[in-house]
Amino acid sequence: EKMGRIFSVNLEGKIYSCKHCRTHIALMDDIVSKSFHCRHGKAYLFSKVVNVTVGTKEERMMMTGLHTVADIFCVRCGSIVGWTYETAHQKDQKYKEGKSVLERYKISGPDGSNYWASHEAHVGGSDAEDV
Amino acid sequence: MGGVEHSEPPLKRVKVPLGDLKNLVGEVSHIVPVSSSLGDSMARSPCSQGAEEMVGMKGVIKKQEFVKIITRALYSLGYVRTGALLEEESGIPLHSTAVALLLDQVRGEKWEESLVTLHKIGLSDEIMVKRASFLLLEQKFFDLLKEENLMAALDTLRNEIVPLSVDVGRVRELASFIICPSQCVALRISSQDGTDANSRSGFKEKLEKLLPAAVMIPERRLEHLVEQALDVQRDACVFHNTLDSEFSLYVDHQCGRNQIPSHTLQILQAHKDEVWFLQFSHNGKYLASASKDHTTVVWEVKESDLVLLKHTLTGHQQPVLTITWSPDDSQLLTCGVEEVVRRWDVNTGECLHVYEKAGVGLISCGWFPDGKGIVSGMKDKSICLWDLDGRELECWKGQRTLNISDMAITDDGKRIISICRENAILLLDREAKFERLIEEKQVITSFSLSEDNKFLLVNLMNQELHLWSIEGDIKVVAHYRGHIRTRFLIRSCFGGFEQAFIASGSEDSQVYIWHRDTGKLLLTLAGHSGAVNCVSWNPMDPHMLASASDDRTIRIWGLDGLNCKGHCSNGNGIT
Repeated sequence: EKMGRIFSVNLEGKIYSCKHCRTHIALMDDIVSKSFHCRHGKAYLFSKVVNVTVGTKEERMMMTGLHTVADIFCVRCGSIVGWTYETAHQKDQKYKEGKSVLERYKISGPDGSNYWASHEAHVGGSDAEDV
Repeated sequence: MGGVEHSEPPLKRVKVPLGDLKNLVGEVSHIVPVSSSLGDSMARSPCSQGAEEMVGMKGVIKKQEFVKIITRALYSLGYVRTGALLEEESGIPLHSTAVALLLDQVRGEKWEESLVTLHKIGLSDEIMVKRASFLLLEQKFFDLLKEENLMAALDTLRNEIVPLSVDVGRVRELASFIICPSQCVALRISSQDGTDANSRSGFKEKLEKLLPAAVMIPERRLEHLVEQALDVQRDACVFHNTLDSEFSLYVDHQCGRNQIPSHTLQILQAHKDEVWFLQFSHNGKYLASASKDHTTVVWEVKESDLVLLKHTLTGHQQPVLTITWSPDDSQLLTCGVEEVVRRWDVNTGECLHVYEKAGVGLISCGWFPDGKGIVSGMKDKSICLWDLDGRELECWKGQRTLNISDMAITDDGKRIISICRENAILLLDREAKFERLIEEKQVITSFSLSEDNKFLLVNLMNQELHLWSIEGDIKVVAHYRGHIRTRFLIRSCFGGFEQAFIASGSEDSQVYIWHRDTGKLLLTLAGHSGAVNCVSWNPMDPHMLASASDDRTIRIWGLDGLNCKGHCSNGNGIT
């Protein structure tokens, strides 16, 4: 499988990395909210993520309303790690624009801890904050 | 001189800057094309007082000036009779009567008379008149000295030259000649200012340069205008990629795009995995390629442009990420990913030395311009300098480099260049011991240094290429866009004749080529079946380009088979 010489940056501090290949994705300091949810369980909103490629934009109805989002993938192994908010159609959701959500199930925490998919995962889908 | 006594319109009572004919265009108030029929530019009837005749389709060329510079050119070429005939037939004398008389008197060495005539020309710039008078009086002075008439010479100096109050330094020199005239004979007269034939023309040149261009039509003015036009044509030729200096005056110069390598000449298959880096040697005779398969291959570029495998260098335990040629091309440095740096002999293919640091992986390498030392970036962000035997000479600790960074050293050995932060490149001055930074808003992925060391081509995460000027004022001077980069480290380079082009790899498997000065994307070369990671333009052959790809091959690109010399003749340059 052709790969090329992947370009990735190294972060410093308390790092969240891709569960499969350990590529650095985000810093704990950049967590904006831990109250997000996805199909597989918890998710965190980060103000900045690195070493991801962005998929195609699409309109998605989230728990808090309609948003234009794009899935994000680890630049090295290509596995999906979350999504990024392109546009929020409601004024009170605008703060999410430009920020990204990482699914806790897809990333390893700073202490190397992993998170296992909860069986009581929200059936309703993704997003939230306003809890 | 033509016999027609043509009463010239009085010279404008406006200061004309030396040699700057352009200003005159702005000052003409009556531009009346004499001919009324559309497109007929060459009017034949002599101009009437007050109205300027124009020549050429755009109505910006004044007929009088045009004819005068042609006349001047004829005289310069030695066609004296034709020159005189032109003056007569056109009724446009080269010089006004006063100027003609002045030149005559100068030729006849009649200094007193020429001074009088000088004042009759009607120049309004007093300083200029004084300077010209100075030159004439200087000649009179030297003549008197030569005749050994010291008293008269002193008199001239005191009462005629000094009151002018110009060129005071020169006055002192002249005074010294009176004191020791023999010195003058020995030193000065032998050089430009004396009285032999050679020096007379030196003085005449000075006089001509001093007086306004409109008065003394500058010699070689026509040649200069033509050369200027050729420069404009050459600069406008974005495909210009040849040493061929044949510019014809008959058609505008315009190279066809077939001057840029665009045709696959060879596909080199030797690596067993992705090829990540390649570079031609300084002398263009070799090409070295580095691969994920842990090897480096040295290729030889034959006379016929055929590229043949010379050596496969094995030893690294990691993918080889970069290669640097020694200044004399006899040795190579290769660096494995976070591993060691190896030094090889190009001729024998032997590994001569392994450079490593306990516990720290190396991530980049470079040669010192004198070939006696090597520089390497480390995983711990420091930069180390070793002598050839591996003794550490210097080490810069702190954040000097990153886990992925290029390394470059300027040819004078003074600056070390490395990516030190996500969005900044460090220019470390070894001697002055200070650092300058190039800062970008985007993450920097790689860079390339121009041959003259004055420019840095920086690859950014957002798929843009920025050209930075790093000498003097550090600033961005150009942008290049079009190629694709989303995941990989893609490299770009300078190349072609006078490095007039920028080439880059791309994730869409093509090679991209831009015109450096205008930023215009000229060509995309398709052929590879995988991302093109790196490109290198042969520094000795502007028509050879090499590309390295994830498809495990290297392609050598050259000119299209139908190599015509590439003049798209469009006559008078309407593109």
